[in-house]
Amino acid sequence: VNCQEARLHIGAEPNAVSPELAEHLERCPECRQFQREMIALEANIRRALDQPPLGQSPAAQSSVVPLSAHVRSRPTRRFAAWSGWALAASILVMTVTTLAVWTVYPTQTLAHDVVMHVEGEPKSWTSSEQTSPATLNDILRPAGVELDTASGDVMYARSCLFRGHKVPHLVVKTSRGPVTVLVLRYEHVKAREHFHEDGMSGVIAPAPHGSIAVLAQGNADINDVAEQIQRSVHWLPDSR
Amino acid sequence: MRNSQPENPVCSVDGSSHGAGAGDPITRLFESMRPDLVRFAQWLARDRSVAEDIVQETLLRAWRSRDALKDPAAVRPWLLTIVRREHARLYERKRLELVCLDDGIEHDGIPTSQGPDSELHALRGAILKLPLEYREPLIMQVLGGFTTAEIAQELKLSSTAVLTRLFRARNKLRAMYGLMPAPDDSASEAAQ
Repeated sequence: VNCQEARLHIGAEPNAVSPELAEHLERCPECRQFQREMIALEANIRRALDQPPLGQSPAAQSSVVPLSAHVRSRPTRRFAAWSGWALAASILVMTVTTLAVWTVYPTQTLAHDVVMHVEGEPKSWTSSEQTSPATLNDILRPAGVELDTASGDVMYARSCLFRGHKVPHLVVKTSRGPVTVLVLRYEHVKAREHFHEDGMSGVIAPAPHGSIAVLAQGNADINDVAEQIQRSVHWLPDSR
Repeated sequence: MRNSQPENPVCSVDGSSHGAGAGDPITRLFESMRPDLVRFAQWLARDRSVAEDIVQETLLRAWRSRDALKDPAAVRPWLLTIVRREHARLYERKRLELVCLDDGIEHDGIPTSQGPDSELHALRGAILKLPLEYREPLIMQVLGGFTTAEIAQELKLSSTAVLTRLFRARNKLRAMYGLMPAPDDSASEAAQ
């Protein structure tokens, strides 16, 4: 199995690992990374397909007469009405539960998503591309920010899709080595959150508009670097 | 075509049943599958009313062929297969132009609202925008639980061609997340 064959199989069946594929994954970190990303994507695909595409619950689609509708007796109709309320109550409970979970654990999920995103661009850490001030400005301005640092310190700059929004994804040289910075205008956190995942340390800090995620490789505390980055990011006055 | 009561072998408009009715176990079994079938059909057809038509026709066909269902435990894949064939038949017969999506799907697939569901909403839009040749095997696999071999048999493709289509479907969805698409040997499927 070479890398191309491995990725074909991972992309086609992300959760299936044949012995040959397992052997390849053992020695190929890039394909392991690809597999991790595809498994994460697969979970989201399953969640997406779990509902009808246009947002209607199948049970709510009453325009089709059920096969047995014409022979339903009155007690059955009463049961149907009762079961409709039961269904509505179930949906309400599920919605409240989901919202509660999202409220209690939002940043843990956000941290995981940030890590997954950064892992999806492994070459960003070693990039040495020259980012012109104009390019940097084009990437930062839609997020309503400026960076108070020499553009030569920016090793990597992209505008990435993250949770449905374009966000600036930068790798910046610091005294502690390269750090990744994601300006998350649409992700709000109540307080500074620290996390360690997949060999990375990170901080997600609240910002005037949304939040800023700072990640470094390794398990060292990067609080001071995160504060330094936070001070370097200026939110433009006209940004909403 | 919807609600084809005159053909309905289970019920008649006057309420009398022809051989079986709502209490019949096979009818109840089929009815219990309806939400799954509608959802499956909606992802295929991208249109609710077309999906309802397909499911109605599916249930009628299933009823007529109910003796072919030897194992009630296999009813779900059996009915989903009929749904897929009905969708294909409808598509061939009417040459439906199912390009325009209904309300609620944003044109760029990226929602303007924020919130925990926005990513999922965008992903739904991206799945709907996949060409049928990629969307169909993906939905059969993920939603229908069909194996690659079963999909290959149903779509009359080689297993490798199905793998390629599934790979390409997910590879296209990767892009939505800003992930680098894997290299794709575009000639690989043609060679199958």
